[in-house]
Amino acid sequence: MFKRHKRATATPEVTITIDGAPYQVPSTLSVAAAVLMHQGAAGYRRHAAGGHRAPLCMMGVCHDCLITIDEAPNRQGCLVTVEQGMRVRRQIDEAAATATRWVTTTHAGGDDGGERDDADL
Amino acid sequence: MQTCEPRGTVGTDDCNDRARVVVLGAGPAGMTAALRLAEAGLRALVLDQARAPGGQIYRQLDRPQLDAAVMGKDYHRGRSLVGAFLDAARRGEIDYRPGTRVWWIEALDDALDDGLDDALDDGLNDGHRLGVRGHDGISRELVAERLIIATGAMERGWPFPGWQLPGVMQAGAAQILMKQGALLTEGPPVLAGNGPLLYLLAWQYLNAGCPPRMILDTAPNLGLARTLRHPLRAWRARGYLAKGARMLAALRRAGVPIVRGVQSLAAEGDQRLTGVRYRRRGDGQEHRLKTDWLLTHMGVVPEPQLPRGLGIEHHWQEAQQAFVPDRRDDLSVRPGVWLAGDGGGIGGAMNAEREGRLAAQAVLDELMADLMEKPQDTTANVKGAAAPIPDADNRRAIARESARESAALRRRRRSDLSGRRLLDALFTPPADWVERQPGETLICRCEGVSRAQLKAALEAGPAGPNQLKAFTRCGMGPCQGRLCGTNVSRLMASEQGRDMDEVGYYRIRPPLTSITLGELAGLGQTQDRASNPPPA
Amino acid sequence: MKHEVMIIGGGVVGMAVAYGLARRGRRVCVLDEHDTALKASRGNAGLVWVQGKGAGMPTYAAMSLASSRAWPGFAGELGERTGVDLEFEQPGGVDLCLDDDEVRSRCAEYQTLYDTPWAREAGVRWEYLEGERLQRLLPGLGSDVPGGIWTPHDGHCNPLFLLRALYSACQALGVDVRPHHPVASIDPGEAGFVAHTARGAVSAERLVLACGLGAARLAPPLGLCGRVTPVRGQVLVSERLPAARRLPTPQIRQTASGGYLIGDVLEHVGHDTRVTLDTLHALARRAVTIYPDLASARLVRSWAALRIMTPDGCPVYEASQRYPGAYNLSCHSGITLAAFHADELAAALDDDRLTERYPLFSGGRFDVQAA
Repeated sequence: MFKRHKRATATPEVTITIDGAPYQVPSTLSVAAAVLMHQGAAGYRRHAAGGHRAPLCMMGVCHDCLITIDEAPNRQGCLVTVEQGMRVRRQIDEAAATATRWVTTTHAGGDDGGERDDADL
Repeated sequence: MQTCEPRGTVGTDDCNDRARVVVLGAGPAGMTAALRLAEAGLRALVLDQARAPGGQIYRQLDRPQLDAAVMGKDYHRGRSLVGAFLDAARRGEIDYRPGTRVWWIEALDDALDDGLDDALDDGLNDGHRLGVRGHDGISRELVAERLIIATGAMERGWPFPGWQLPGVMQAGAAQILMKQGALLTEGPPVLAGNGPLLYLLAWQYLNAGCPPRMILDTAPNLGLARTLRHPLRAWRARGYLAKGARMLAALRRAGVPIVRGVQSLAAEGDQRLTGVRYRRRGDGQEHRLKTDWLLTHMGVVPEPQLPRGLGIEHHWQEAQQAFVPDRRDDLSVRPGVWLAGDGGGIGGAMNAEREGRLAAQAVLDELMADLMEKPQDTTANVKGAAAPIPDADNRRAIARESARESAALRRRRRSDLSGRRLLDALFTPPADWVERQPGETLICRCEGVSRAQLKAALEAGPAGPNQLKAFTRCGMGPCQGRLCGTNVSRLMASEQGRDMDEVGYYRIRPPLTSITLGELAGLGQTQDRASNPPPA
Repeated sequence: MKHEVMIIGGGVVGMAVAYGLARRGRRVCVLDEHDTALKASRGNAGLVWVQGKGAGMPTYAAMSLASSRAWPGFAGELGERTGVDLEFEQPGGVDLCLDDDEVRSRCAEYQTLYDTPWAREAGVRWEYLEGERLQRLLPGLGSDVPGGIWTPHDGHCNPLFLLRALYSACQALGVDVRPHHPVASIDPGEAGFVAHTARGAVSAERLVLACGLGAARLAPPLGLCGRVTPVRGQVLVSERLPAARRLPTPQIRQTASGGYLIGDVLEHVGHDTRVTLDTLHALARRAVTIYPDLASARLVRSWAALRIMTPDGCPVYEASQRYPGAYNLSCHSGITLAAFHADELAAALDDDRLTERYPLFSGGRFDVQAA
């Protein structure tokens, strides 16, 4: 986790939720910074290949800060500033956002089209 | 198949759809350029991705989170510039649009077909079309008659085994967290790499009462001899050197261990960083260290997307270990386009301010020349401009004054950059770092392409980085190759025995920054709520 | 070692033929251009597509069908040889009709093409679908799309990995692939052909042009057809998204890695390879019309590439009458036809029986039409 320095300038705070739990954060923070402050880097997001990732650059380059903000997935958390009432959800539990291969035994052309014979494949 | 129907206007627009001067980026270069234009009564449109001005270096100075005793004077020095910029924007002298991303750029002429020099000499410029996604999430088009690109630099992608683990961050990211919210790692971090920013961050952490656990420096012992080989440069760089020496001394006094000659580095851990492994030149031993945070830095490089997206030629600079865009002495890169600040080659904040002012002067000179040609053309004056059109005598006087100032700025710039070359020499990244990486190291983080996979694909004989990208998906992810591009060119150059300019770089594919299909379709659905409204 | 066959062009056509010839034991050399040359092989959408092809030339329709049927074996062998997964799937496909006029014209066109003895004999199946039945194949389809034509024959692959696999397979078979060898001119001689490049001359007994738009310049001096024109396509690709199990369409398809490829434009703009803002906007609008849920998906990349178009849209496969041993291959469906090129066509080239086997595909057909 990241901790706020004791001599930090007094700054208005806003309340956001991270995975449903409410947190008070300085209004100057980006969403990614707010998550690092309260949840740390572990569990920030899961990469399409399955591994865990967290922000690398905090300036819009690396895209490892992707996060769900107010139900919109894959936002760049480092470029969005926190706002009162914002709902933030980490994308750690979501299965890799990777298409699995099409299973060729599925449907054909509808009600009466289901007779597609597999010899065509 | 069918041909697409012609497109209508995407959304109605509160922006002007044509702007006389557009400045891209509100860092030191962009802010200075806009202020210089405002001095002359020219209201520039400033588009910046951040919610407040300052760029990376002067970030958050509209409400600084830590004082100069922690952050240092250089950071707080930017307050006056940020303040002046915001004041000018409030007065309406600058049309400042925070939270705005430029995702598309194209020249509206084919002036470059005959080569850069011919084009610049001809001065043909029909302007540039920008695709801009505003803070409301809607994509709009606008035409920039003249354009100052001040999009700055980014940290070099510096791969080693495990650099994708949570807990590994770039030093710049850690500094951004300090600036944005006075945030520091819980527990002392290990810092690794090389470059002025690495030591600045170590010193700032020290000032904040959180000294780094250790600094792993990839440079061999600091070459005093190298410094003395160029006494003139050393003199010109004395400011930088003295600052560096003070920081180093403070770190030593505080007992922060500095390990030099680090030759290999790896981050360990499963779902997050738990420790680092490194070897030093000479002793051959593997050292291990437990840590939750590894902050790395290997210098900064020009942010490539916009200049490359515009088709500006780049050349490899061995000293900076980076591709740098070709610029002329007046910082022009195309007819009607100037490139100021670190985006044109790393020179630091002071140099960026100087270049911003120079670029603005060049714009003003051109406008003045237009005015002299067509004095009756009142449209040459600018909407929102405070200044009346000067008469002929005044114009000549203004032109002389401007030429004098530009010449002085250029002299200062040359001298400063010459000193800066010494820093480059002191902090040269190990040129063979990427080649020496083991097979497991991810070169492309986005697509998860490893050194070993690239090596295998290189054996299939791709003609260049674009074919290698096609073969492996390396560089096809959302960062669009920013973190792997140069490293891939590097690997290819060494593997195929070619030089960097011959190998080249990825072709830049739009969009230059993120945009959703809905935004592109003109729906504006995924508005970022968190951007402040324009202050004007 | 002297090369038996020299192929000009290292795209997916040239490399498929090189692979086929090398498998038959020929000593092959491929000359290709630089990294940023015009590369239709790197700029296409990766469809292995049958439906709609061959209007006015049933032989070409049959050829496309045969190649798509040969694709599973082709992809399997290539994958085994190289370890590269071509991400090939053949779940069937739908060509969407975006308005009622398209529904009418497409159905009429397909009736002419497929309600024929050869198509019945070959087992071609197609059906116009709309509403609930189409939704089952394309879940989440937007309500503004009237319908589309389904066939079981269509599929898709990763065209970039196809090219990669062909490179690897060719290399393993000893093919001499030389990038950075743009060919300035070709001399036909007594003992074979000499290609002149900035890096020296390369010679071989026989010569195959598979050089896309380069045929316009290199083919005529060899007595071959150079009637190819560029047609620009533009493609958008989205970020990776969870698998939605939607059949591929020419307008939009989800790739194995999760991104959506959005394309299907044909623009006659000469050699201009730029992406244009207008088309990007139009393609994005079309994508969210087809799948409204894509509105929140981010665009990751866009590109344009030039396809190769012959006057009638069908391939040219021909041997030079004037210079025996010189051949020309011009086609715009290098992905669909890759299986055919690597096998049957390579065999016909090897046996020097191109003219006998594919008499209808000579470039001479355009002269007849013109006369």
